Amino acid sequence: MLNKVRWWRGILLMFLLLLILRIFLPLPFVNEILVFSIYTMGCNFLLGRVGFISFGQPAYLAVGAYGTAFYLYYFGSNPYVGILIGIAVGLIVAVIVGPFFVRLRSDYFALVNLALAVIVFYLMEKVLAGITFGDNGLWFLTNIDSTPVLDLGKPSDFFIFAFLVALAVWAFYKYLDDSIYGACCLATKINEDKLEFLGYSNFNIRLLAFVIANTTTALAGALYAVYFGFVSPEITSHARCADPVVVTILGGVGTLYGPIIGAIAYTGMKDLISGMIGNWELFIGFLLVFIMLAGEKGIWGTLEPILTRFTYRTHKKRVGDSK
Amino acid sequence: MNNGELLVVSGLNVSYGEAKVLFDISLSVKPEQVVICVGRNGAGKTTLLRSIAGFLKPTAGSVVFGGADLVGRMSYDIAKMGLKYIPQDKKVFSDLTVRENLELGSYATRDYNWEPVTDYFPKLKELMDRKAGFLSGGERQMLMIGRALLGKPKVLLIDEPTEGLAPSIVDHLKNVFKELSKKTALLIVEQNLPLVCAIAHKVYAIKEGQVVSEINEADKIEANVCEQYL
Repeated sequence: MLNKVRWWRGILLMFLLLLILRIFLPLPFVNEILVFSIYTMGCNFLLGRVGFISFGQPAYLAVGAYGTAFYLYYFGSNPYVGILIGIAVGLIVAVIVGPFFVRLRSDYFALVNLALAVIVFYLMEKVLAGITFGDNGLWFLTNIDSTPVLDLGKPSDFFIFAFLVALAVWAFYKYLDDSIYGACCLATKINEDKLEFLGYSNFNIRLLAFVIANTTTALAGALYAVYFGFVSPEITSHARCADPVVVTILGGVGTLYGPIIGAIAYTGMKDLISGMIGNWELFIGFLLVFIMLAGEKGIWGTLEPILTRFTYRTHKKRVGDSK
Repeated sequence: MNNGELLVVSGLNVSYGEAKVLFDISLSVKPEQVVICVGRNGAGKTTLLRSIAGFLKPTAGSVVFGGADLVGRMSYDIAKMGLKYIPQDKKVFSDLTVRENLELGSYATRDYNWEPVTDYFPKLKELMDRKAGFLSGGERQMLMIGRALLGKPKVLLIDEPTEGLAPSIVDHLKNVFKELSKKTALLIVEQNLPLVCAIAHKVYAIKEGQVVSEINEADKIEANVCEQYL
């Protein structure tokens, strides 16, 4: 099922896209896009492949971010260890809540995740305020050690690291999409009964997808913590709960380039429009309504068939000319 | 296993909430036997197959397959045991190609030999890279049966396989079922009487959730006999 040529071509395209971003856009903006696109890849996989919409992704982002933050504030100073701890905490939380959540239908799944985000928010803001410092957040930028080869404290080195991580995560999802497991995920979304006729457990397929997606989200949280050197409950506030879903839809649900395109568009518009008007969320809201009405496919979902037609025509013309 | 029977359903009762649909259904299938259930729409034939396949939980009775009781087992476990269900609606995984649909069947059963499938349905070879959503009804049925054949199932439960299909395809399926029955037992729900008469070794007539007649001898299975139950 895995087409190696397509896989490597995809990786090369993704590599070029990220490189172009680095050349033409300011570094902090690109770093933010990289973290945001990794954050969205998990949501995109859940929504596009398994058919689960989740308004609770900030909860898993916060779990990863706080896992890293606690380590860097209280226990150690190596950012790489911090990131690994953030990923591990996200994985553990996903494995604990996953078996309960994936039994639910998509609409209830969305709500129970939203409820989890609210729980995590109040845990970090109130219940655990003694160690999280509530709204003031945890500041640990100065605790982070300089590391050899790539010093994650430097934005330029962080870019290279985040770039490689984003590329690896993207390649991993591309591999999943082209694998039998990716087909199983799509099949469970299309018709869950039929998949069981073949001898597959929908529960196991969904649980694995849930764990993969939310561990990816925790990884984004860990990167966020290291990049900003600061974490507060704000990252899981209810106002942020729809962000990854909006970016996924904006980019194109279930498309591999959707998360990065969505992250560029969303972060770009936010930065650009918030500089011009106060209520930038209003503009994003109208834009989203427009995109949904225009074809529900998002930016990449709309562009992809046009590009495919164009490249096919160019290829045909070239073949014709050579004859 | 009694008298060499592969699948034995005894006193099966199934309800949808308060509404009872199947009443003390009993039937049996031997290896390499084609057993057909006939009956009007709403008689409970599909419910019977879905209950055997583990999608509905009976309120009473037993389903014994190869000596193991299937009641309470998950449907995917039953499929893995070698009892495959092919539903009536001909819905395939439309966003996946024919090849990917078959790969799903192969991966679940670890049976990667597609030769028997393409021998029965040569047309599938030409359609491998086509999205299953673009197949005709007959091609979808071929794909569904072909996919279910992977893993060499012991019993195939097939729900109205010829419904809405062109006569030429029905004829092709008739030959396939005849060939298949040399290796696999078939329990089919069908209303196409010429097909029933051509392939059945045993017929159960189902009316209002009950077995009202059982015709055991193949030579007595005739269209005018079965017609009274439709």
